[in-house]
Amino acid sequence: MRQFTGQRAWLVQRLSALLLLCATAALGIYLLIEGPPGYPAWLAFARHPAGSTLILAVTAALCLHGWVGARDVVLDYLHRPAWRLCVLALVATALGLVFLRVLVVLAATLAHAP
Amino acid sequence: MRFHIYRFDPDVDPRPRMQAYDLPDSPADRMLLDALVRLKDMDDSLSFRRSCREGVCGSDAMNINGRNGLACIQPLHALKQPVVLRPLPGFPVIRDLIVDMTQFFAHYEAVRPYLINDQPPPERERLQSPQARDSLNGLYECILCACCSGFCPSYWWNPDKFIGPAGLLQAYRFIADSRDTATAERLADLDDVYKLYRCRTIMNCTEVCPKQLSPSRAIERIRLALTKASI
Repeated sequence: MRQFTGQRAWLVQRLSALLLLCATAALGIYLLIEGPPGYPAWLAFARHPAGSTLILAVTAALCLHGWVGARDVVLDYLHRPAWRLCVLALVATALGLVFLRVLVVLAATLAHAP
Repeated sequence: MRFHIYRFDPDVDPRPRMQAYDLPDSPADRMLLDALVRLKDMDDSLSFRRSCREGVCGSDAMNINGRNGLACIQPLHALKQPVVLRPLPGFPVIRDLIVDMTQFFAHYEAVRPYLINDQPPPERERLQSPQARDSLNGLYECILCACCSGFCPSYWWNPDKFIGPAGLLQAYRFIADSRDTATAERLADLDDVYKLYRCRTIMNCTEVCPKQLSPSRAIERIRLALTKASI
């Protein structure tokens, strides 16, 4: 945990924010130009190696960014160790489940690729 | 001129209160401190710190109409009435406008605000290039009045662990000093989730500094130095 507190956590938060910003901008521009892609296009994107890597990277960035942000809020506002532990455990579980869910869906999508 | 001043004597008062004062105008009053000194003549139980009365000692830092500043360099005519005076926010109150700065100076001491150089001292002095000396401008002028730390929400939330903008400005003053040889140790000491990284870049510190310094820029530079050191 010590390795992911001061400067490293701060750097991870900024780098993940950069990735999320670029991904959101790219998606926005795509939707503006091409319109909603529909299920077959999403499926093709997820089955492409670059697409699945990007989805995984964006999900990881979202979870890491969310973790550092939520941890900062907890450190600022919750001063009782028991409360901190409970809330941080809840946040970690929720973010872990989000990542796991994306991983499972992506694996299933790739497994059923023609 | 009308004043509303925070009054609290922990030995007597069950809770703080705001007391109204009406002070007849005087042509001799130029700064807020002049008016406070006259108020003190009217009511000698009113307590506040002051010393140099020219913005050098930093003793008379207080919250003036919702904004931290030094009473001695705050022009009286620029203030909206009633002038509301409170102690520095986030600091324990000793009495009226006097706050306990023990924690503040403990943080200051913790950053080792002195030159560390393990090389043998030269015969006369440790020289710097003009450029290296210029890099200290905007850092060494801090008078430790605590206006910045007292206006920083991150400092209000974690005053015992977050060093605060004043302490971090002082820390960077020695990190940036070309004559100091303890840069790596200083940076390693600051690489902590509380000491440095409680700063949320709110920048109130820079906004209220009565000496027009920029603690937020110093904090950014410490973070940059830490990032460079980690690569």
